[in-house]
Amino acid sequence: MKILVAFKRVIDPDARIKLTADKTAVDTESVEYKANPFCENALEEALRLKEEHDGEVVLVSLGGEDITQTIRAGLAMGADRAVRVEIEDKALDSDLAARIFAAVYKEEEDVDLFIFGKQAVDGDNNQVGQLTAQYLGLPQACFASEVEVDEDAGEATVTREVDGGLETLAVKLPAVITADLRLNTPRYAKLPDIMKARKKEIEELDLDDLEIEDTALKIEVVSLEEPPKRKGGEIVGSVDALVEKLKNEARAL
Amino acid sequence: MGDLFNPTDEHRALREMVRAFTEKEVDPQAEKHDREEAFNLPLFRKLGGLGLLGITVDERFGGSGMDAVAAVIAHEELSAADPGFTLAYLAHAMLFVNNLAVNGNDEQRERFLPRACAGEIVCGMGMSEPNAGTDVLGMGTRARKDGDGYVLDGAKMWITNGAVSETELGDAFLVYAKTGEGSRGLSLFLVEKGTPGFRLGQKIHGKLGMRASTTAELVFEGCRVPAANLVGTEGTAVISMMRNLELERLTLAAMSLGMARRAIEVMNRYGSERKAFGQPIREFGQVARHIAESWAEFQAGRAYVYRVAGELDLGTAGNRVDSDGVKLYCSTMAKHVCDRAIQVLGGYGYVAEYQVERLWRDAKLIEIGGGTNEAHQKNMARDLGRVDRIR
Ligand SMILES: Cc1cc2nc3c(=O)[nH]c(=O)nc-3n(C[C@H](O)[C@H](O)[C@H](O)COP(=O)(O)OP(=O)(O)OC[C@H]3O[C@@H](n4cnc5c(N)ncnc54)[C@H](O)[C@@H]3O)c2cc1C
Repeated sequence: MKILVAFKRVIDPDARIKLTADKTAVDTESVEYKANPFCENALEEALRLKEEHDGEVVLVSLGGEDITQTIRAGLAMGADRAVRVEIEDKALDSDLAARIFAAVYKEEEDVDLFIFGKQAVDGDNNQVGQLTAQYLGLPQACFASEVEVDEDAGEATVTREVDGGLETLAVKLPAVITADLRLNTPRYAKLPDIMKARKKEIEELDLDDLEIEDTALKIEVVSLEEPPKRKGGEIVGSVDALVEKLKNEARAL
Repeated sequence: MGDLFNPTDEHRALREMVRAFTEKEVDPQAEKHDREEAFNLPLFRKLGGLGLLGITVDERFGGSGMDAVAAVIAHEELSAADPGFTLAYLAHAMLFVNNLAVNGNDEQRERFLPRACAGEIVCGMGMSEPNAGTDVLGMGTRARKDGDGYVLDGAKMWITNGAVSETELGDAFLVYAKTGEGSRGLSLFLVEKGTPGFRLGQKIHGKLGMRASTTAELVFEGCRVPAANLVGTEGTAVISMMRNLELERLTLAAMSLGMARRAIEVMNRYGSERKAFGQPIREFGQVARHIAESWAEFQAGRAYVYRVAGELDLGTAGNRVDSDGVKLYCSTMAKHVCDRAIQVLGGYGYVAEYQVERLWRDAKLIEIGGGTNEAHQKNMARDLGRVDRIR
């Protein structure tokens, strides 16, 4: 099996962040980066499928030279090689990202599965997997919590988490799957594999190589706002007072 | 790219891996194992799966082939959560595994290292004795040549990983014993559990800190080992010991760094959250001093440790001034930092929930184990007698 995994670097979701002065982006001065947790689920699933069915796992990442460290972390987890498409984060939206992923998919040939995280924890857009499937005309199974592949039948059975329960889909391969957190627990990179990752190939492409000319963005970030500061808590005297406040002040009921 | 603390991408990836593992798996179990004075064997075996037990060992023998800086990173990260557990790691990975990798021959390496690197066996090193610690050459354990082997008689004291439970010995040990007199009379032997005449004397209870590691007395009574278990040649173990002590002291200092780092994080956070007299306590000058001095001393120690680690060649001896120096400085630095953290937290610092009381108890050990601070002062002053100008 040949499996592509979209692998994104995000700002450490546990870190405190600040906005830039013009409030259109997060200030990246002295922030720490990590692999997107959902992408780690996607990679873990790809590695398990590879262990079961043999084949190759290829990471696909979009970004500048500085994301190499995150890519190496994915290679240390066990991916065989990686493709990095040179582009600035600012120059991307979900749609362009999806078109780039689609182009890489075509370059790679004979891909059986393209696995994404269901969303990146920075923008929380939850669009790229779906858009990529659309551009490629592939079936999609999003928010997977369980994946099984029957190679002979050329089919994947995907359990997905939907409101109020689980849904099971069978999709023809090749297909796009997006991973939910409950799909698996990503492994730690073993130290010998960290050493080996140094020697694995990272192919570098740019938009010209992929013949992508239309780089116009469909989404513009107008402004970002920090969440309102938490107000102090309050102890209420009775259940009735609590219900009243939940209804009328918090509007939670 | 690289910095002093993460010279290469691999070092940085190692740190991230160990930190993630520590947060998820080491932190949550630390308080319980300290309280129960118990060694977490399943967690220890997981270190083998991650390639941490053979961190400095050649890949041929199941290791990860990294250097002293990598060893320092692993100890710093693990120790921030659980110094007791980290001490068991150190005794196995540095005092046994690295020691044998450097001082043993290929046959011995093949026999022990793959299993030790994988975490299938738990190992340690025996130098100290009930009646001889700092005065190593005053040890009483003797090995007598007898036909095609040696017979050991004596006892070792304070041996980390000496037991894996209340009653069971650890699996294999490097044991120093006298085969002659003076500094050319010391030899090093491999002794395995199950060897007739080798038994657990006692598991030591009631330790102030480092309670998640076991400490035991090992007894040798007519304990016969084959000549193939002699490490190096007869009478040359002082050199082997010196080589390994440097890495031991460096990684013990790295443990102090981890403890100090965590204590600073705790007091720094608490300083903002806790209010008294209408303001966060960090705004009181005396509290500010605790935080600021701790930070500066920690950073100084950290720079010293990583500088020395970067220069340490695992195969040679000759860095004694600074391998003693980093431990001399960082042990007391961490003890003071942990003490200040308790002070900043007031009553909350004195109970287990905030971790700093445990770190404070653990931090004290580094002034004693692997050589007392007085021994470091003595060694350093002697070696520095040869130094005229400081480059
Ligand atoms: C938790 C723990 C784990 C340990 N793990 C191991 C292990 O795995 N393997 C191992 O071999 N050992 C281990 N040790 C032993 C440790 O290395 C010794 O305790 C240490 O070297 C000190 O020896 P001692 O306890 O005999 O004290 P002593 O040497 O008797 O010292 C007593 C006091 O006298 C001072 N003193 C002694 N000689 C001099 C001198 N010449 N000048 C000035 N002052 C001096 C010392 O500094 C100290 O203050 C461990 C100890 C502990 C507590």
